[in-house]
Amino acid sequence: MSSTADSLRRSPLSQWAERHFKWLIVAPAVLLILALSIYPLLFSLWVDFVNYDFEIPGHDFVGLLNFTTVATDPIAQSALLLTVAFSVVNVTIEFLLGLGLALAMVKTFRGRGVVMSILIIPLFISPVIVGQSWALFLQRPFGPADYILGLLLGRPVEISWLSDAPWYYVAIVIADVWQWTPFMFVILLAGLAAIPAHLYEAAELDGLSTLKTFFYITIPQLGPIIVLAVTFRLLDAVRLFDVIFMMTGGGPGTATYTLSYYLYQIGFQQFHLSVATAGSWIFLILLSIVIMTLVRRLLKAEKT
Amino acid sequence: MATTTRRSRSARRSPGFDALRIAFMALFLLFVLLPLYWMVITSIKPTSDYLVVPPVWFPAQPTIVHYTAALFSYRGLQALVNSLIIASASTVLSTIFGTMMAYSLARFNTGGQHLAFWVLSQRFLPPVAVILPIFLLFRSWHLYDTHVGLILAYTFMTLPLTVWMMYAYFRQLPKSLEEAALVDGLSRWQSLWMIAVPLAAPGIVAAAVFAFIAVWTEFFFALILTSRYAFTLPTVFRAFLGFQGAQYGEACALATTSLVPSIILGMLVQRHLVRGLTLGAIRG
Repeated sequence: MSSTADSLRRSPLSQWAERHFKWLIVAPAVLLILALSIYPLLFSLWVDFVNYDFEIPGHDFVGLLNFTTVATDPIAQSALLLTVAFSVVNVTIEFLLGLGLALAMVKTFRGRGVVMSILIIPLFISPVIVGQSWALFLQRPFGPADYILGLLLGRPVEISWLSDAPWYYVAIVIADVWQWTPFMFVILLAGLAAIPAHLYEAAELDGLSTLKTFFYITIPQLGPIIVLAVTFRLLDAVRLFDVIFMMTGGGPGTATYTLSYYLYQIGFQQFHLSVATAGSWIFLILLSIVIMTLVRRLLKAEKT
Repeated sequence: MATTTRRSRSARRSPGFDALRIAFMALFLLFVLLPLYWMVITSIKPTSDYLVVPPVWFPAQPTIVHYTAALFSYRGLQALVNSLIIASASTVLSTIFGTMMAYSLARFNTGGQHLAFWVLSQRFLPPVAVILPIFLLFRSWHLYDTHVGLILAYTFMTLPLTVWMMYAYFRQLPKSLEEAALVDGLSRWQSLWMIAVPLAAPGIVAAAVFAFIAVWTEFFFALILTSRYAFTLPTVFRAFLGFQGAQYGEACALATTSLVPSIILGMLVQRHLVRGLTLGAIRG
């Protein structure tokens, strides 16, 4: 508490600034978020129920038409399915590889610092560049991927990674796994390092096997961290856009449309703004359900 | 802060297990490095080396022609300058606003937990859900395709990161010095600026670097909110889509130029990486 003698000497303005200090310092951040997130969301609620389309003039009230248009669009449905599939597959692979790496790296060894520094490089690279460099690496005839596979398998390999089914799915998964496995790895490694050593000593005294120690000590101790890492990663995985944009452009046809890519196409290539907005609200509602489930899990995990 | 102790279990592990461990790490390192190496090496390859079988792993005559072409023929230089301006300005704004808000949340519990979690929820809002109205808003306010517009958008985008990283940081700093400063007659503003900020400097630097990297690598906002004038580096890669003109070298030169600064910055704050990735939820 500031002394009264001091506050008497200050001007009325600075007294006012002092009294409202805690609100004044949150104001810039809060105002910016209000302007660029809350206002747009409210505005888009209105757009949901009118015609807002660069092709059709006027903003007539259309009721639920925008929602039914997007919900009955087969491309939207397959984009939703693909987004779920990509998210589950990507996050699962990233978790397993990240856990494996964290277990392999938890013990110190010579050169560990260098290995660490290399492993985290993908986290600092734009997803656009990740998409581009994997496209270059895989694409025939320029990329060396088919040549290397040919050497390993002892027979010529001719895969068009970005246009042959199901290889374009594989290519996208590879790029995403390349970029985000380090995320899982870094967080899980921190979690592993925080497990108290005496638990392992006790397990060793009790003669627990390595496998049993892993399932009875490592995994339960790591539990909350795992839930946190998976939650954070999943919430980013569902927006998959950049890699699709660079590698397949949603193609061939609409085969690799994710929800974000679909909404981008509808909104910014075909300019059906209100349909895209309705779609993004459905996306948002679905996502909130996922978030609420995960956050509840997260809070439960933190309590135990 | 538990990073020191490591267990002695491994002594019991079989050599077979160790071999597996090393093989796994080696394979993953190869997986990380191969596409990066291919990209960097392609950026200095002469055009005649592009389609040779077997692939050229190191060009006999390295060249820098792709770098000059990427910077001057593909407006890479302008994108680089734009990216520097936009990333720096939004980093500064986001760090200042974020640190101030975090201080209020940590010291006065302003708005209770709700305000803090409201900010966090912005981090998980998919950009595609707000971009359309922001796009319309920017067009009517003449912010579309301007530096100012993108700086504001990116300040907003990185606020959850800077607020939450600094929120976690301030909560672990003792209050006593600031309280002593108030007793000595400093105003709250002075004690924030002269006591708390210098004490939190390492955290502020780390938060700023993560914000910079996030903006430097961002694509979606820039794709929608800019076109010919305020475009950033990641948007230039659109020019190489499909590689019809076989601009492999230029694409790789630009990518290499773009990733060097963010990797260097990332390495500098490696110690804070876990905090950065989890918005301060885990200290690492």
